[in-house]
Amino acid sequence: MEEKKSKKNKWTRRAFMIAGGVAGTGLLVGIGGLIHVNQTIRYYSGKGLGEGSSLNAWIRIAPDNTITLAIPRVEMGQGSYTGLAMMIAEELEVDMESIRIVHPQPESPYANLFIFAQSETNIFDGYSINEKLFSYLNLVITGGSSSITDGYYNMRYAGATAREMLKKAAAQQWKTDVKNCKAESGFIINQGNQEKLSYGELASAAAKIKVSSTPELKNRKDWKKVGKPVKRLDIPEKVQGKATFGIDVRPENVLYAAFRHPSVLGAKITGFKNKADIEKQAGIKKVVLTEFGAAVIADNTWRAKNAALALQVIEDEKESVKISTASIGKELDILLKKPAFAEHEKEGDVDKVLAEKQKTIIQAQYEVPYLAHATMEPLNCTVLVKDDAVDVWLGHQASSTVRNAVSKVSKMDASKIMIHMQYLGGGFGRRGEADFVKIATAVAMQMKGTPVMTVFTREEDMRNDVYRPAVKCEFKALVQKDGTIEAWDHKLALQSVVHETMKRAEPPLSISVKDDTATTEGARELPYEMKNRRVSFGNLVVPVKVGFWRSVGSSQNAFFTECFMDECAHAAGIDPYQFRLSKLDKAPRFKKVLQKVAEMSHWNKALAKDRYRGIALHKCFGSIVGQVVEITKLGEKEFSIDKFYCVVDCGTYINPDSVKAQMESGIIFGLSAALFGEITWQDGKVQQSNFPQYDMIRLKASPEIETYIIENEEFPGGVGEPGTPPAAPALANALFAATGVRERSLPLVKLGYKFV
Amino acid sequence: MKYTLNINQQNHQVDVEAAMPLLWVLRDELNLTGTKFGCGIASCGACTVLLDGKPVRSCSYPVSGAADKKITTIEGIASEAKLSAVQEAWIEHQVPQCGYCQSGMIMATEALLQENPNPSLEEIESAITNICRCGTYSRIRQAILSLAKKVNAADKTQTEKA
Repeated sequence: MEEKKSKKNKWTRRAFMIAGGVAGTGLLVGIGGLIHVNQTIRYYSGKGLGEGSSLNAWIRIAPDNTITLAIPRVEMGQGSYTGLAMMIAEELEVDMESIRIVHPQPESPYANLFIFAQSETNIFDGYSINEKLFSYLNLVITGGSSSITDGYYNMRYAGATAREMLKKAAAQQWKTDVKNCKAESGFIINQGNQEKLSYGELASAAAKIKVSSTPELKNRKDWKKVGKPVKRLDIPEKVQGKATFGIDVRPENVLYAAFRHPSVLGAKITGFKNKADIEKQAGIKKVVLTEFGAAVIADNTWRAKNAALALQVIEDEKESVKISTASIGKELDILLKKPAFAEHEKEGDVDKVLAEKQKTIIQAQYEVPYLAHATMEPLNCTVLVKDDAVDVWLGHQASSTVRNAVSKVSKMDASKIMIHMQYLGGGFGRRGEADFVKIATAVAMQMKGTPVMTVFTREEDMRNDVYRPAVKCEFKALVQKDGTIEAWDHKLALQSVVHETMKRAEPPLSISVKDDTATTEGARELPYEMKNRRVSFGNLVVPVKVGFWRSVGSSQNAFFTECFMDECAHAAGIDPYQFRLSKLDKAPRFKKVLQKVAEMSHWNKALAKDRYRGIALHKCFGSIVGQVVEITKLGEKEFSIDKFYCVVDCGTYINPDSVKAQMESGIIFGLSAALFGEITWQDGKVQQSNFPQYDMIRLKASPEIETYIIENEEFPGGVGEPGTPPAAPALANALFAATGVRERSLPLVKLGYKFV
Repeated sequence: MKYTLNINQQNHQVDVEAAMPLLWVLRDELNLTGTKFGCGIASCGACTVLLDGKPVRSCSYPVSGAADKKITTIEGIASEAKLSAVQEAWIEHQVPQCGYCQSGMIMATEALLQENPNPSLEEIESAITNICRCGTYSRIRQAILSLAKKVNAADKTQTEKA
C-alpha cells in the first residue's frame, strides 16, 4: 500500500516535483502540463546550491558526479540531514558517499506543511485545507518532530523524479526505450549492451526533460538504505572540530557584539552613563542602543562581553513587571479553582459520577516549573547589512522566520536577504524564535558594511529564554476495585504556548487560546479505557515569554498523567503495568509497546535488593514510547539511575540508529529537567544564570539505555521529541516504588533527592 | 602583551591582554573555532583543550598561563592521514548529535587516555564531567570503554608474546 489514489478536488503535491528543471541557477519553469494552483510553490532560486544542473528543487548534479542535495530541514543533532538524504538517495540510486548537503534559501518548495497540517493520512495525496493555507505561508521550519514525516513522500518523489529524468536523458542519447535503462549507484546502465553513463554526464540533458507522470516509488522490500543503520553524514566533521556552527562563522572583517537585555521584565534600556569610557577601551568599536536593548561591538567576543558587563545602562522601568514565582503560583491556584477556560476532551458525565461517589475519589495536585532550553551553543547570529542586500549567518530552525525577521528590522526586501545556514548547537525549540535574529540585525544596522556577530552570553541566554511554561494541575478520579476507571477529571492551569508563540512569530499568526491544543497535548486522547473523562484548562496570562520546548505540552502532561495512572493503580491495589495493560485492548499499538517494554525489562521478575523500577507510556508527534527505569536506593533520598529500557513505535523508520540516538537523547533531556530544571522569578528577574544554578545530567549520573524499535509499515511518526515525556514519570514512579512517597512536583533535587 | 603560543605544534604570535582567556585567543584572534564557548565559567567543558597533555577549560584559563606550554586543540589531534583513536571511536559509535560539546568531550577523553590508557568505568565517569545537552552519554561511555578494551587486548597480546 505504498501508493494511494489521489483524492479528487485536491491539488496534487506531486505536481511541483514533476517539473522540468533548469541548468545552473535560475527559476524553475514549467510544470509539466500539470496545473498547480499555488503559484509560489513552483519557484526556487537555487541560490547557494553550487555547481551543476538542477533536476528539481532538491537535487543538483555536477559534471564531476557530485550530488548536491538541498535539504531544507536543519541539522541540530536529530539526524535529519542524513535521514532526508537517505530517502532521496534511495530513489535516486546514488551512494551516500557521493552526497554533499547544502541548505537552500527559504523558498516555497521547501515549506513544511506537515508541522501545521498534521494530516498524515492525506499528506501525500494532495493538499488538505490546512495544507493549502500553510503552503501560501511558505513556512520553512524544522520542528515538531516533523522532518521525516513531512519528507517521507516528498523526498522519495524528489529522488524518483530525478531518476526518471536521468533515465530518459540516457534513453535519448542511446536512442533506446527508457525501459532498457536502469539506474544504479550514480549511473544509468543500458541493459541491452551494458553501456554506462554517469549522472554527471547526463545531468545537463536530464534537467531539460519534462516528466509527464508520477514516477513509481520503489517497493519497500527493495530498499537498500531506508530502514538500515546508515552512518550520519555530519559526524566526521563534528569529531574534527571542522563543523561550522553559527558561532564559528568568520566572514571577512567580522566584529563581535555582546548583547544586554533589560534587567527586569518589561523594562527598556534608554541610555548609558559611561558610553564614552567604554568606547575608549581596547578593541571596543561601538556601544549601540537598539529597541531591544544594548550592545557593545568589539574585535573580540571577550572584550565585547566584559565591556557589556561594565556598561552602565539607564533603564525605564515604567512598564516593568515585578513578577515572582510565588505570585505566578498563586494565579495558577486561582485558575484551578475557577471554571475551566476550555474543555479539550469530554466523554460521558464526569461531574455526575464524581458527585455520586465523593468519598472514594482519588485526588491529586501536580506542578512543574518554567524550564530553559539551554542549548549548548549560546544564541548568536551574524549579520552583514549592505546598501542593497543583507547576509545572515546562523543556525536557526526556521529559515523563513529568519528572512522575515531580518527583512522587518532592516527594511530590506526579502529577496535581497541571503541566509547562510549553519549547523545548530542544539535547538529544542529555542532556535525557532525570531528574537535573537531581530536583535542581531538591529545591532548590525548600526555597523553597516561590516559583518557583526551578536552573541548572548550564557547568562543572557538563560535569563532571556522563551520558557516551557510553569504548570499546575488537579486530578480527580474514581477507580473501581477491579481497576475500572469510572471517571477521570484533569484540569490544568498554564500559559498558552502556541497562542503566544504565533503572535510573536514572523509572520505573526493568530490562533485562539481555546484552540491551543498544545496546552492539553498528552493529557488528552490517552489510550486507556475510561468510562467518563474530561480534560480542561485555565489560561494564565502573565508577561513571561513561553515557547516550544522539546515535546511541548507532553513535556509536563506525560509527567502528570503517567504518575497519576500509577496513583490509580496503587489505589486499586493493582500492579502499575497490569493496570495500564488492562485498559489498552482498543489501542493495539500502545499495548504492543507496553508489553514489549515489560518483556525487555523482565517486569514480572523480582529485582535485587534496593533496586526499584517505574514504568510510563506516552504518545506524541505520531510515535508511541514506553519506558521502564531501574534505580538503586543508596540512602534515604539518594539514588542511582541505572538503566532505561525504551520501546518506540514510530511506524516506518528511516535510519534506525538515529531513532535510537533520539530516544537516548530524549530520555537524558527529560531526566535533566526532572532532576534539576527550574527557572524561577523574583522581582521580574530570572534567578538562574548559568549551569551551576540550572544543572544538567552528566556522564556519571546518566543511565545505560537500551532501545527497541517496533517493526511495522505504518506512516512514520517523529522521533526527536517522543523520547522525552515518559522519562520523568517513569523515574517518579520508580521513586514511589522505592520510598512509598509520591512526588508530585519537579525538580527532584529541590525535594532533597540526590542522584549519583 | 605579546605572546608566542605553541598550538598543535605550530607557533602563533598574538598581542592580547594577559587576562584574555585562551578560548577567545583561539577563537577570535586565531580563528581556531573547533574549541567551543559554552558557559564561560568552566562549568560545561565545551572549551576543553590540552596544556602539556592536561585538560583545561580554556574559557577560564588566561592566555598568560599558556604561553610556555604545548597547547593541543581538537584541530590538532588527527594526523594528516589519520584521525585519532578517540575520533575513530566517536564515529564508530556515532556519538555526536548536535556536536557542539563534542570537541570538549573528545579533548577530555584524549587527556584521560593519555594519562590512563585503560580506565575503569568509575575512572571514566569521574574524569569526564562535561555537559552534553543532547545526552550522548551512553555512547560516550561505550566509545571510551571500547578504546580501553582495545588497550586491554593489545596488552594481552604483548604479555602472551613475552
